[in-house]
Amino acid sequence: MNRRSFLSWGTAGMATLGSAMAVSFGAVVRFMTPSVFYEPPQTFKIGKPLDFAYGAPTFLADEKIYVFRDRDKGFSVASAVCTHLGCTVKFFTNDDQFHCPCHGSIFAESGKVVHGPAPRPLNWFEVTLARDGQLLVDKDKIVPASYRLMV
Amino acid sequence: MNLIREIWQSIVRRDPLSTDKGKSELVFLNVWLHIHPAKVKKEHFKFNHTFYLGFITFFLFLVLVTTGIALMCYYRPYPSVAYQDMKDLQFVVFMGPFLRSMHRWAAHAMVICVFLHMCRVFYTGSYKKPRQFNWVVGVILLLLTLGLSFTGYLLPWDQLAFWAITVGTNIGGYAPFVGNYIRELLLGGHTVGQEALIRFYVLHVAVLPSLVILLTIVHFWRIRKDGGLSRPIWKLKPNKPEELVTIGATPQTAPLQAVAASSDKTYGLMEVVTGKPIFETVAPEEEEDAVFSYPFAFFREAIALMATVTVVMATSLFWHAPLEELANPAKTPNPAKAPWYFLGLQELVSHSALIGGVVAPSLMVLALLVIPYFDRNPSRRPSDRKWAIWLFTIFVVINLVLIVIGTFFRGPGWAFVPPWVHVVAGAE
Repeated sequence: MNRRSFLSWGTAGMATLGSAMAVSFGAVVRFMTPSVFYEPPQTFKIGKPLDFAYGAPTFLADEKIYVFRDRDKGFSVASAVCTHLGCTVKFFTNDDQFHCPCHGSIFAESGKVVHGPAPRPLNWFEVTLARDGQLLVDKDKIVPASYRLMV
Repeated sequence: MNLIREIWQSIVRRDPLSTDKGKSELVFLNVWLHIHPAKVKKEHFKFNHTFYLGFITFFLFLVLVTTGIALMCYYRPYPSVAYQDMKDLQFVVFMGPFLRSMHRWAAHAMVICVFLHMCRVFYTGSYKKPRQFNWVVGVILLLLTLGLSFTGYLLPWDQLAFWAITVGTNIGGYAPFVGNYIRELLLGGHTVGQEALIRFYVLHVAVLPSLVILLTIVHFWRIRKDGGLSRPIWKLKPNKPEELVTIGATPQTAPLQAVAASSDKTYGLMEVVTGKPIFETVAPEEEEDAVFSYPFAFFREAIALMATVTVVMATSLFWHAPLEELANPAKTPNPAKAPWYFLGLQELVSHSALIGGVVAPSLMVLALLVIPYFDRNPSRRPSDRKWAIWLFTIFVVINLVLIVIGTFFRGPGWAFVPPWVHVVAGAE
């Protein structure tokens, strides 16, 4: 084997080995990436509009959302997950603000950050009326804080 | 009796330990012991130089592997039964609380001892040439220890576990570009759930321990190759350092004579390899203050092992590992805290998630990794290294202060609350 063919075969061999390793690494990463999430659906019904009171928002623990109902404007749904590190915020009626227990973030009723390390306002989710008359929340659809469903 | 003696000889294959040959053969005919030299100098085992922290860390790891395997017999990593299994370990399994407590306290102790070991290596300048790379291996082992502790934290599936891991993995999510993807890989989902539990379990019992074992072997091997256990070289009698010979170095007194090679000469590997090795500056073993590893070194190691195990067992007899109520994703405890060794991070994160959670820890790890290559000062004498010692001490103190603030001075809503003030959680 002369120098030229050694170099060309060597380069081809290294390239093959390198791409094989890259593909294998990609396969490992893909293998570890879940194809199915066994998690609660992002779209779910929360009940009839009449189930919700005016005034202070209703907290749904399993869905981690706050449902607001306003006499003039209608329904809106806020995420109860703090945008800082994912703790569940709590709404206090004495100051009408959300407080996060982990790092002290405070959000206004509109979801805006009033204080603390939270980088973004709370998310608001789309809420619509399903055919059976129940409220339908879609956590995949983030809406502006001004979004309202008038029923 | 002859048969028994024969069987024993077939196992140990060495001369009696009363002889020097037997003492040497004990070391180099035994696969487990031959990481030791046959002879050591007493100063390698000076307690007030190393405090045996490396030994203690390794022995704690052995305790963790043993108790961990025992616990695996009763633990199923599935949310609905994991907590139930913890309750079984607490109330039903014979010696369950004892084993679980040993595992928990040894884990905490290992994090502490790894950190102290790192401080000792820094303050004694033991990371300097030729040991630079072993320092890097050590830093990786520190990270793996934290990883083991963090993945183990989730397994009890109580409120403490669930929220510590929720907060901890969300910190990781702030890493630029890949943060959320890595978080998803780690959790196998978007929130801490059953997929996260099985992944943490696999990491905790298989992946990370294997890596720790592999790197520990490298770590120990390198100690032997780099001149043995650290010793206070600047405190030895002034003529001592000159007595060291470097294997392969040309003796100054008698220059090598060229000898005509005979045609039938065979060469050993050490004769084929020429030049001075960059490692292994060793003392000749014939020196008068070198003693056989048996019993001098083995006795001291055995004492350290027994002391370590005794302290862990005694602690576990009197204090049991805590177990909070079942994990409840809907109810965040107030305050929710990460594991204590990450509370310094959490304290930083409470000010800024990106800087505190990603930038600062990355810089810290990077700084640790490059120390041996950045510090060009060859001296190990503390009085020659004032700047290095000051900088490292500031690094240590900042970390400790942040952890103490996060652990003892943060109350509900992460408000600043001194530990002597009792707070009844707000409108809960």
